[in-house]
Amino acid sequence: MGVPFKDIVVYLDGSESSMTAVMYAIKLAVEHEAKLTAVYVVNTKALGELVKAGIFVAIERDEYQRDLQADADRYLRHASKLAAQKQLELDTVKLEGAVHVVVRQLLKDRHADLLVLGGITDIRSRREELSSETDRMMRTAPCPVLVVRDDDDIWLEFEA
Amino acid sequence: MILLDVLDKDLVKVPLTASDKNGIIAELVEVVAKAKGYTTQQSEAILDAVLDRESLGSTGIGNGIAIPHAKTNVVKHVTMVVGVSRFPVDFVSPDDQKSRIFFLVLAPSSEASAHVELLASIARTCTSSVFRRMLEQSKDKDEVVRLFME
Repeated sequence: MGVPFKDIVVYLDGSESSMTAVMYAIKLAVEHEAKLTAVYVVNTKALGELVKAGIFVAIERDEYQRDLQADADRYLRHASKLAAQKQLELDTVKLEGAVHVVVRQLLKDRHADLLVLGGITDIRSRREELSSETDRMMRTAPCPVLVVRDDDDIWLEFEA
Repeated sequence: MILLDVLDKDLVKVPLTASDKNGIIAELVEVVAKAKGYTTQQSEAILDAVLDRESLGSTGIGNGIAIPHAKTNVVKHVTMVVGVSRFPVDFVSPDDQKSRIFFLVLAPSSEASAHVELLASIARTCTSSVFRRMLEQSKDKDEVVRLFME
């Protein structure tokens, strides 16, 4: 375990809150002179579930697979640009699979000492099937987790 | 993204009154158009996108559930409408069971990831037969929202 943090991983999924987490993680990495990795997971597990459930037809699955890959590249590129604004070199990783499973493995492989996540859903339900990937990552990460609240101040401070 | 992230009481309709597949889709589109203040042209663009998708294969998934969906840039973010019908409607489901629970999911092309995750979240949520029965028996939109939140 490293304190201050030396190897930080931030998860992004294209949501506004995950981009806020990226900004926060960049500032944190600069402050701690830590290595920062941004990870995006193409959720092939969800795609598989949709085909199995009959919600997606094959042609649709292929189209969405391409869309998800494009999303991943676009958001990782954007994260790299944000890091460059703060003179930080960002390592980007694109993975495929069940989000919380592959992120957990990445954290283990890299011996990461901090996982940074965007906001957790405000509304809570007791239904396990309604828990989000962010919730699952928070519960299963093998390292400390920092949850960044989606806050305009972080965007303003980052751009200052 | 999960179902709770986009659940909005203004986008829930109980009961739906249409009696056939195309009517149900039009009614669900009308709910979102009214709630978001879309023009007739925007509303028609959504309807066309959903019917285009439907032409590839029915989105009736069985167990009394149908999830019509489409990509459309009329919506700014992933949007979901929930509807419950008093009477079963034939949605050409693989199990030949008629549907009473409907989720209309719309997403802009830039939110593929959230779109896929939301659809998967709906599919997971509806695996419980007890939950489906409770949804089918819900009397109004408040009850539908409460069922998801409890």
